[in-house]
Amino acid sequence: METRLNAGLAEYLIALGDDELILSHRDSEWCGHAPILEEDIAFANLAVDELGHARLWYELAAELLDEDKERFPDHLAYFRDASEWRNVQLVSLPNGDWAFSVLRRYLFDVLEVERLRGLKQSSYKPLAEAAAKIYNEELYHVRHGRAWLPRLGLGTEESHRRMQTALNDLWPFTPQLFQALPGESELSGVVPTTPGLEAEWRTKVVADLASANLNPPEKSNPMNRPRTQQTEHMMDLLSESQMVARANVEARW
Amino acid sequence: MSDTQWPRFMVFQQVVAGEPLVHNGTVHAPDLEMSLLNGRDVFLRRPAAHALWVVPVECILTKTIEELQDGSWLTGVKEAGGPMARYHVFGKLHHQGQLEQIGMVEAAGPEQALKTAMSEQQGRTVWVWWVFPVSSVLASDEDDIDSLFRFAESHDFKNQAYYPVITMMRQIRARGKR
Amino acid sequence: MYGASVDDVKHDEKEDAGKMAAFEARIARGEKIEPGDWMPAEYRKQLIRMISQHAHSEIVGMLPEGAWITRAPSLKRKLILLAKVQDEAGHGQYLYHAAETLGISREEMVEMLLTGAAKYSNIFNYPTLNWADIGTIGWLVDGAAIMNQTMLARCSYGPYSRAMVRICMEENFHKKQGQEQVILLSQGTPSQQKMMQDAITRWWWPTLMMFGPHDTDSPNSPLLVRWGIKTRSNDELRQDFVNQMAPDLMALGLELPDPDLRLNEETGNWDFGAINWDEFWRVVKGDGPMNAQRMAARRKAHDDGLWVREALAAYAERQARLN
Repeated sequence: METRLNAGLAEYLIALGDDELILSHRDSEWCGHAPILEEDIAFANLAVDELGHARLWYELAAELLDEDKERFPDHLAYFRDASEWRNVQLVSLPNGDWAFSVLRRYLFDVLEVERLRGLKQSSYKPLAEAAAKIYNEELYHVRHGRAWLPRLGLGTEESHRRMQTALNDLWPFTPQLFQALPGESELSGVVPTTPGLEAEWRTKVVADLASANLNPPEKSNPMNRPRTQQTEHMMDLLSESQMVARANVEARW
Repeated sequence: MSDTQWPRFMVFQQVVAGEPLVHNGTVHAPDLEMSLLNGRDVFLRRPAAHALWVVPVECILTKTIEELQDGSWLTGVKEAGGPMARYHVFGKLHHQGQLEQIGMVEAAGPEQALKTAMSEQQGRTVWVWWVFPVSSVLASDEDDIDSLFRFAESHDFKNQAYYPVITMMRQIRARGKR
Repeated sequence: MYGASVDDVKHDEKEDAGKMAAFEARIARGEKIEPGDWMPAEYRKQLIRMISQHAHSEIVGMLPEGAWITRAPSLKRKLILLAKVQDEAGHGQYLYHAAETLGISREEMVEMLLTGAAKYSNIFNYPTLNWADIGTIGWLVDGAAIMNQTMLARCSYGPYSRAMVRICMEENFHKKQGQEQVILLSQGTPSQQKMMQDAITRWWWPTLMMFGPHDTDSPNSPLLVRWGIKTRSNDELRQDFVNQMAPDLMALGLELPDPDLRLNEETGNWDFGAINWDEFWRVVKGDGPMNAQRMAARRKAHDDGLWVREALAAYAERQARLN
């Protein structure tokens, strides 16, 4: 591919990696604090998977930019300020309760599966191969989320109330999921268009939510900011995740 | 005190197609479907598997060689009429081993199933027997192998060989000081 | 059925001399005792105490390391640490299972932990204060635990021994990743060397205490040895550990906080100074630097998760009625 396309695709992949890494950070915060031991383990698996996906996307970006595959992913994770990140706001929101965390994952994972279905067909071979691997893992993530949805939505009055509250809080952040990603406009045939994923996502999500007796809020104030804008939570998250690395800039770990 | 830790399910794993299933342990889960997901998350953090089974603990009849040795249990088993069903038979064949799948029998109840299995397996030392109805098992689907079981294949960092510490120590000792 | 309740089996555990002799003969032959087999009440009691304590240690042990998953300084280290802390949850899970086969429920065990009736390893009542603590816990703390676990993998109770075999297999990478980090940091930048030395200074003595009281002060030991639960004593294991670790740490240029530590040419052992048992017992009794925080974190997770466990139980019950 030509250099201009390379740079565009790298930008796109870094945004995908940012989503995964920040979500992995949030999920990993549950490790040791989940409602039951089996879920400490299950949520850690999800976080391990997402972290692995972030590295894969960053490594592909490194190749496209002719950067060091070993060091570039760490550079992206540890030496960018909040304004340089391109993740959606949804993933950086604090964990809240278990309902919020499970539902956030579910909303995000359904989109990922849709996107990966397209990426598996990418004309750029290394991307198609990585997408095929990640796709398999995300299928499980959606299965996990879909199993939880009716159990919490229909379980007890309290669990239903918490789920509906979580949905009301999360819903305004979903329009941002369907903005074109950085670099995307120049990548036709290489990646699926993100706005094109919305219809399929909406059909699936609304049906699953309905079968769990959950309804998207009728009125919500969409937080549809560009990916260049981060939440305040992102500052706290980064000051924690980058503290050791930045205090020892020249160190190898 | 009410138990909020959910019921227990036995988890069995088949590493390669065609090989016997082997007992892994238990998971706590609210229901059978969730127990399969929990079984996957708890026991497959390292590859590999071809199939995973979960069975509610209370569906399993268990007897040890010691419980069976004086023969009184066996003579107490009554002939039963009623509908026949198929039962899986698992046994512990070695002191150090796990329980593994050793056969399947048809019987009118779990006790008859164990009795039949014992006569079929005569001459073999079985330290622990488990039988449970085929209908009590939830098994993973062949189509799910990729999404259920392959995630840990890339976890090379879980091998101790990933960490070259012996070489590192040798080099440092050879240098004599840091 | 699998794991009869404790009350069901009591009447069968009158210390019947014939049964006791047969039981001890089985252990002497190297047979494994399985759920359902006759066993002395004291054997069952000691196993429940040991296994549940061990399970609690894995669960509480997730906390000091878990706090550093979000701060790990490279993606590779983050991945390794996350998988390691997850393994600890898995090991706690296997161990609770082994204890459940003796007729105690996980609910009861968790309750005993949260009310302070059950103990867990003292080592997790110490704080993790810098990134080098993670390597130190991996190499020293897990290294010490593995010595115990390797012994217990041969123990006479089948489910405990099988859980241990699995745990030992998985734990080996925990120790190696820790050792790799200690090596890298001790040979790294001045600030890395400084944090490494600080970690070793703080963790050395608490790690030696992990093996438990001296043999002369360990009342359960002879019985546990006779019944094939333990095969080596606290002091033997501790000496092996010091012999293994001291020369390696010193080769890395790290200083151990014990002026009496030296190789005894006659015995081939590394002699070491007196352990501060006052501190040990103080921490056991709840007065360690982190006891209160560790228990508060466990209690919070348990309480916050109650509505989740109840919701899924209610859903399952309703589905079962419908089918």
